[in-house]
Amino acid sequence: IMNVFGLIPIGLILLCTTTISSLQCNHLPLQQRKMIENSLQLLDKMGKKFPQQCLREKMSFRFPEQVLKPRQKEAFKVAIEEIFQHIFYIFSKNLTLAAWDGTAIEQFQNGLYQQIEQLEACVTKKQTHYFHSKEVNRLKLKKYFQKIDCFLKDKQHNLCSWEISRAEMRRCLQLIDKVVRKL
Amino acid sequence: GQTNLKSPQDIQVYVVNTNFTLRWNYTGSDTNVTFSAEYRWFEDFVTNETEWKELPGCQNVTHTECDFSSAITKYYDTHHVRIRAERREEVSPWSSTFEMNPYLIARIGPPGVELQSTNGVIKIKISPPEANQVRKMWIAHLRFKYNLVIWENSSNAEFRSQSIFPTDTIDDLAPDTTYCLKVQATLPLDLQEGLFSPIHCVKTTHKAVNDLLCATDVSVLALDMKFHLHWNNRYKQHVSYNVQYLIGYLKKLHDDYSMKWLSVPGCENITDTQCNFSSIISTTSGIYYLRVQAMSEYNKSCVSNEVKVDPLITNEIGPPGVKVDISDVLLHIQISPPGGSESEVMRDRYDLSYRILYWKNSSNNEEEIKMKEIKQTIGTISDLTPLTLYCVKVQAFSEVYNKSSHYSKEECIKTPGDKILHLVILATFVTALIAVFLVATPLGFALYQAYNKIKYVFFPSCQPPLNIEGFGGQLLSSPYLSTTEEPIENCSIIETIITEEVNQTDFKDYIHSKQSSRDSGNYSNDDTSGSKVSEETLEKEIV
Repeated sequence: IMNVFGLIPIGLILLCTTTISSLQCNHLPLQQRKMIENSLQLLDKMGKKFPQQCLREKMSFRFPEQVLKPRQKEAFKVAIEEIFQHIFYIFSKNLTLAAWDGTAIEQFQNGLYQQIEQLEACVTKKQTHYFHSKEVNRLKLKKYFQKIDCFLKDKQHNLCSWEISRAEMRRCLQLIDKVVRKL
Repeated sequence: GQTNLKSPQDIQVYVVNTNFTLRWNYTGSDTNVTFSAEYRWFEDFVTNETEWKELPGCQNVTHTECDFSSAITKYYDTHHVRIRAERREEVSPWSSTFEMNPYLIARIGPPGVELQSTNGVIKIKISPPEANQVRKMWIAHLRFKYNLVIWENSSNAEFRSQSIFPTDTIDDLAPDTTYCLKVQATLPLDLQEGLFSPIHCVKTTHKAVNDLLCATDVSVLALDMKFHLHWNNRYKQHVSYNVQYLIGYLKKLHDDYSMKWLSVPGCENITDTQCNFSSIISTTSGIYYLRVQAMSEYNKSCVSNEVKVDPLITNEIGPPGVKVDISDVLLHIQISPPGGSESEVMRDRYDLSYRILYWKNSSNNEEEIKMKEIKQTIGTISDLTPLTLYCVKVQAFSEVYNKSSHYSKEECIKTPGDKILHLVILATFVTALIAVFLVATPLGFALYQAYNKIKYVFFPSCQPPLNIEGFGGQLLSSPYLSTTEEPIENCSIIETIITEEVNQTDFKDYIHSKQSSRDSGNYSNDDTSGSKVSEETLEKEIV
């Protein structure tokens, strides 16, 4: 009996925190939209225009766009969170040969990290389960990022491989931006 | 060859990281029986017919399990595996095909754990599963979230579970106590919880007595994106402080970030217990950690606890500025956004809106307070009564971040007398005047004319001459009025004929001569016809 009474305040606190976090999650699309805009700006800011000499090394990675068009609108938050995690990982690697603006890179990473934390707080178990069930989409997404990872490794993280990857990540973020605006 | 051999059954594949183990059951007699397996895989989820290949690591095995890690390289593609028993020349039929996708059945292996017990806390450093491996199942190792389970090494100890960074400190512990812990790597989005590391046990030390030197109650106050760090210190002697910050995402990496703390410009070697660190915060770039390093004269230093700052959440929005202006029946409100012109980015991220409260400030107390919400910085209020004092105050709020500012100062302004009403009255009056004038003038004129006519008829102004007699009945002598009877004017011309026994014939001659004269007179004198008639009557009278 003592334990039950002890549980009530805990229960109330949990209720409050869930209400508060769900209140903030209501405005997630708008917050994310502004963060993505910001990430795109920083991505442009960190380097210069795409170098001409790297054009011949350009590769087609084929981002699986169907991942961003699930029938259940809410569940694609999970896909976005995973994409941000992968981008965050890519940009944490050895960037010395890219010779980009260090401050812009830091701010870009920090912004991405904040987005990931925010999505983590708002993505529900139900949405995760839904996304998890779409096995083919999940695997295609991972294959896409694995391709980029291997590409960078094969080229030993040289300038052109970084510039091509940056252009590809930019494309990726723009696709996400388009979808988030529709929410 | 011929087969009495049973085929293996219940094929299972166990995958941890990139280690693949095939297990099966064999119910037949197992004397001198070996097993060999085959596999094939399908590129890009297309199940076209590909050739079966020998599965390396699972050829001629004697036990009912084998390791085929070397064979698999395509972790996201579907694979088929089958196995059969062999004895000398005999082979069993192939077992049923086991279909699998490596990534989907793989488990996350245990992470590496290093511990350091210092100063009453446990410092922990985690290395990811597959660290230093060339081929990885879990390529983006930064995606892992690490889960720590810790308990006191005593009976009836409670297990405590918490999420930790790759490099972290566990500090809410009792000193001089042995704790045991284990860590697992998880991928929440993949619904994966990895295998736990082996259990490590460590004893906490006593806490050092540097306490007094350390800065305490470190807190952040932020208004309109001006960030200030405040702290306390109970140390009696001279202390200087150095405020440091860390960019948030560095904690997510496995690299040692202890060297990555930077000094906040303007807060190095200060004696004040507060620091303005707005310069390092830009709205656009995420989370920061702050801490205060206190240094005493004896080169002793102590680092305070960290404070996590999420700029847009930590920041409070200040009140906006308000200016009011009045024009006729419209009240214009000019709002200057909080934070001034530098805070454009802040306003954009918060997606600020403004709440306007306005009410009539009359001497009798309770007037209803009305509210209006707008997004722009200019608002107008229109339902106003004239000659009233209205008061206004404005609050800025962000629905997106669930934040609102304090209300601005009240600004009051009086609505003018209703100029429009006055104009309207004047215009109406003038119009009425003109209308009346336009109608009354012709009417008056017409009436005047009518009056004149009537007057003329009944009261003519012309008087007839007085020397004409017999004008009895003058009352009815108007030429316009018809009389019943013309008055007979008995006018007679009296000619005195003096004749004393005058010869009749003379008289007759006289008359004949008269007649003849009369004849001649006929042609010359027409008017006298009336008089001629009267002459004849006269003659008759005489005769």
